[in-house]
Amino acid sequence: MRFLIAAVLLLFALLGAAFAALNGGSVHYDFLLAQPDLPKGVTLLAVLVLGWLLGGLSAWLGRGLSRVGGRNRRRDGNGPA
Amino acid sequence: MNPLLLLFLLLPVAFLSGWWSARRAGVQRSAVRRDDLSSSYFRGLNYLLNEQPDKAIEEFLKLAEANRDTLETHLALGNLFRRRGEVDRAIRVHQHLIARPNLGEDLKTMALLELGEDYMRAGLLDRAETLFADLVAMNAQAPSALRHLIAICQHERDWHKAILYARRLEETSGEPQSLQIAHFYCELAERAHAHGALQEAEEHLGQAFAARPGFVRAWMLRGRFAAMASDPAAAISAYEQALEADLDYVPEILPALLDAYARAQQMARAEQVLGSIVARYEGVSPVLALARIYARRDGHTRAVGFLSGQLRQRPSVRGLVQLMDTTLEGAGDVEANLRLLRDLTAALLEGQALYRCTHCGFGARAHHWQCPSCKNWSSLRPVHGATGA
Repeated sequence: MRFLIAAVLLLFALLGAAFAALNGGSVHYDFLLAQPDLPKGVTLLAVLVLGWLLGGLSAWLGRGLSRVGGRNRRRDGNGPA
Repeated sequence: MNPLLLLFLLLPVAFLSGWWSARRAGVQRSAVRRDDLSSSYFRGLNYLLNEQPDKAIEEFLKLAEANRDTLETHLALGNLFRRRGEVDRAIRVHQHLIARPNLGEDLKTMALLELGEDYMRAGLLDRAETLFADLVAMNAQAPSALRHLIAICQHERDWHKAILYARRLEETSGEPQSLQIAHFYCELAERAHAHGALQEAEEHLGQAFAARPGFVRAWMLRGRFAAMASDPAAAISAYEQALEADLDYVPEILPALLDAYARAQQMARAEQVLGSIVARYEGVSPVLALARIYARRDGHTRAVGFLSGQLRQRPSVRGLVQLMDTTLEGAGDVEANLRLLRDLTAALLEGQALYRCTHCGFGARAHHWQCPSCKNWSSLRPVHGATGA
């Protein structure tokens, strides 16, 4: 199982590297405070990684909030012991 | 499909994959932790069931260190030990909880309160008092701590402190404590009177009346003090006020009041007061007292007539005994008196249970093979004794 996951991750890394190499041209961005020229492929990959991290963060925060709520309910005697 | 649109779809896909993987990792982590907790719990339970409570406590305390969520469970465990009379173990659990550095303020005060109760149960009242006083000073769990402090002061008969704490409890919780406070002042008055400090005793009675106007015990004490000071007029006045304050204490007040009437030679007034009480009070005590006055003044026939008339309305064993005594002393119409006694005895027996359940105490006039209350079979047995079958 671990080998399969490692193989898939390697495949995606290769695809990402190939994608970045094929789209080496730069794109002009305007962030109001800064106007950088960034490589097309790398930017896309960075945005995907950022989306993945944000998904993980939202799941982690959701679990934390539900844990705190459960503890409060138990302390007030409204929830399961 | 537009390839650019596919690129845009990649963003939500990345978000969802991140969300899913984080959730999955969290579930796995909590499952591992739960496994650890439940194995510790089962180990602790196993020790408990094997009558090895000390090892069980160790296990449970280790668990408390690992997880804050189990603190309430430990408070409950400590209470359980205390209720079972294993106070030393309860003290250990609660002391351990208090010693924990990361304990929240609310849980710490709760554990302190429980520890105080442990000390009370163990008879270490001075330690319990210090703990509860600290809690009151911190204004944490103050009403409960004050209630315990009042209980300790009552046990030690320290009425001055008890009054202070009761007043503080009234302020903090809003619960009226006037009855308790008035009783505490009465205790002080009795103590002062016993030591010969009559003025101080009277002052304490005044304070009891200030705490609870018309307090029956204070009137009774004032009557008793007056009677002891050979002032029957004042005693009569105080006892009559006591009767007005609470008619339920008639059996307690009447003997002393009648004695005061006799000393003051005011038997006419006694008859008048007793007549008014008979009309308002359902018990038999004033009837018996009035019958004794009639017997002395008008003879036994009048007393028997009055007693029998009243006993038909309020059947009573004490009344029956007095009726028999009066009849024996005065003779009179034997057959009529016997008929009256028979009727009264029948009235007394009416409503008395002939059978009683040996399991739950349920009383019944007729026999049942199955108890109507607790549903046990063959548990209803005949009642023996004066009113039994």
